Amino acid sequence: MAPTLGKRKRITREELERPSRSPSPSSESQGSDGEDLQAIFRRAFEAKFKPLDIEPVNPKSEEEEVQEEEQEEQTDWSGISSEDEDQVEVFEYADTRHTGDRAPKAEMRAFMSSKPPSSSTSTASKPMPTATKEDDALEVSHLKNDAELQKLLRESTLLSTNTPTFSTRTGVSKGNARHKSTDLHLQALGAKTSIFKQKSMPMSHRKGIVAKARMREDKRRAEARENGIVLELEKKEKKVTGKRERGVGAPSVGRFKGGTLTLSRRDVASITSGGGRRGAKGKKGRR
Amino acid sequence: MTDETTQPLIHFEGHRHLTTRLLLSTLTGRPIRISKIRSSSTNPGLTRYETNFIRLLDAVTNGAQIQFSMTGTTLVYRPGLITGSAEGLGAVGGVVRHEIPRECSRRGVSWWLVPLCLLAPFSKGNVNVVLHGEGCVTSSTPTGDVSVDTVRTAILPLYKNFGIDRNIELRVLKRSCCPAPGKGAGGEVQLVFGHQVRLPKTLHLLNPGRVKRIRGVAYAVGVSGSNNARMIETARGILNKFVPDTYIFSDVSPTPLIPSSSKSDPSGKSKGAVGFGLSLVAESSTNCLYSADVASPPQGGTTPEDAGKQCAYQLLEKISQGGCVEVTAVSTMLLLMAMGTEDVGRVVLGREVLGTEEAIQLGRDFKEFGFAGWGLRDKGEDAEGEVVVSVVGRGVGNVGRKVA
Repeated sequence: MAPTLGKRKRITREELERPSRSPSPSSESQGSDGEDLQAIFRRAFEAKFKPLDIEPVNPKSEEEEVQEEEQEEQTDWSGISSEDEDQVEVFEYADTRHTGDRAPKAEMRAFMSSKPPSSSTSTASKPMPTATKEDDALEVSHLKNDAELQKLLRESTLLSTNTPTFSTRTGVSKGNARHKSTDLHLQALGAKTSIFKQKSMPMSHRKGIVAKARMREDKRRAEARENGIVLELEKKEKKVTGKRERGVGAPSVGRFKGGTLTLSRRDVASITSGGGRRGAKGKKGRR
Repeated sequence: MTDETTQPLIHFEGHRHLTTRLLLSTLTGRPIRISKIRSSSTNPGLTRYETNFIRLLDAVTNGAQIQFSMTGTTLVYRPGLITGSAEGLGAVGGVVRHEIPRECSRRGVSWWLVPLCLLAPFSKGNVNVVLHGEGCVTSSTPTGDVSVDTVRTAILPLYKNFGIDRNIELRVLKRSCCPAPGKGAGGEVQLVFGHQVRLPKTLHLLNPGRVKRIRGVAYAVGVSGSNNARMIETARGILNKFVPDTYIFSDVSPTPLIPSSSKSDPSGKSKGAVGFGLSLVAESSTNCLYSADVASPPQGGTTPEDAGKQCAYQLLEKISQGGCVEVTAVSTMLLLMAMGTEDVGRVVLGREVLGTEEAIQLGRDFKEFGFAGWGLRDKGEDAEGEVVVSVVGRGVGNVGRKVA
């Protein structure tokens, strides 16, 4: 192949007809090259394994083989050199895979953290169990029934007073009952207040309502205490802190009443010392 | 506990296995007397690191009494209650800070850590100890102590087998390598052991399984991180053929600065020792662990390739010894089994592992302290060179947790 660098020439009929002048060293020996090659291969094989007993091959097929070999050699195989055959070739098993790859970051974090690494951390995630079709249908019906049951439980108080039977509940419940049911539903979904809560009313009424509620609560707690019943902890009402909303253009401190601005002691302190609570250490905060 | 009328002293001789004996004494509450400590040596008595260990024991216990003879060749130890890092008993802010001075730098910090870890589950309160100082060497040492990484990745996970697994941490705050004689190391390690038990669970570990993965930590202290890469490359080149799931992580850290103690320059700092090392852990399908540890010697002169190769071969050797427990962890395992419930626990050990001096002496010491003897039998015809060791627990466990 050495002389034919560059573009490969077209093989003419004439060239094919000629006895091969292949550059391969295997066929350099002048004798019957096919025979020779076979012998070499056999010797190499027998050096390794037990000798085979081969009956002599008929020359016809041998010729064909030679032809084939020539063809191959002509095309692109440069052949193996006969000198190398006796030597043992050693392959170094060098891993190419491990050079660049790194452990997943999560695993590194798990291993290099200060905790002893747990053995259960596996990199491969488990496949999710797949649901079959009838399972799905069953699941849907279960969910539906669940929702229905929840609703029934929620509205059980209405049941007893308004509609004495179950059948009448799901149908067209009338007027007030319907509103109440809607209200309960809304509250279950997360509404802040009931729709029945009255928004506007005279202040005295509201005060009265609040006072009455508190009185009831106090009474309940007092009775429980007397009877030795442990009740839930009382919720402490938070005092509203923060700034009072002031009118537009009104002074931002003090109390304006009757044409006079009244400043309390605290107001004065806040003006003079730049923040009342800081006290003597308020040097930093002074602007 | 320290009532001498009921509990006579148990006598031991020699300086070897000192930590094990002190540990057993503390766990069982029996006073011991160790005599002839290096009595024929030109440098008789306890070494600095041994006294330092007793100091640490004193810090995590309450009411211990320690008496030395004049020459230091005899020691009487009456253990107290293991209190851990209780406030007011040497702990500041819930942490006991224990300094290891420069003279102790021959031993790695694991020499202190492993016994401390064994005390911790039987403590009254949490154990939170910071080991620091010029003698604190976090890497493995030529004296045979393993690195901190091996303690964390190969010894601490074993506690899980005994039902001790919550809130355990071993933080390496500053890495350091083994220094040349007369130099400082300056590492810092924090052990948090927040899971105290009444009794460890009974262990039955009979199937070593097959190694399924190998992990490791390569550390470089004050030297180039390329040393790590070279160690990892070589070690993986050897191990990947056997276990493809091999990952070794790299940790590069600067040299710790040691405040100088000289009067002329009180604010001066000097650098600690430099070096590199590799810690490998192989895990089997039944969660048995095998570890190997190699670090560069203090005088230097080894290539990272050599270290990586040596470590990989060491790991393969440990695996070839068989059994469920390897040499470095065998005393931890057997001790926890012996401290367990009054039930027979079984573990399979390799013949070579069981035949080490350490394991045999541990068995003898157990006997001295009144533990039941071990039962040994061959595992069977299919497992060559493996022995089933049956250990009966003592059933006393944690004295501090008696009242629940």
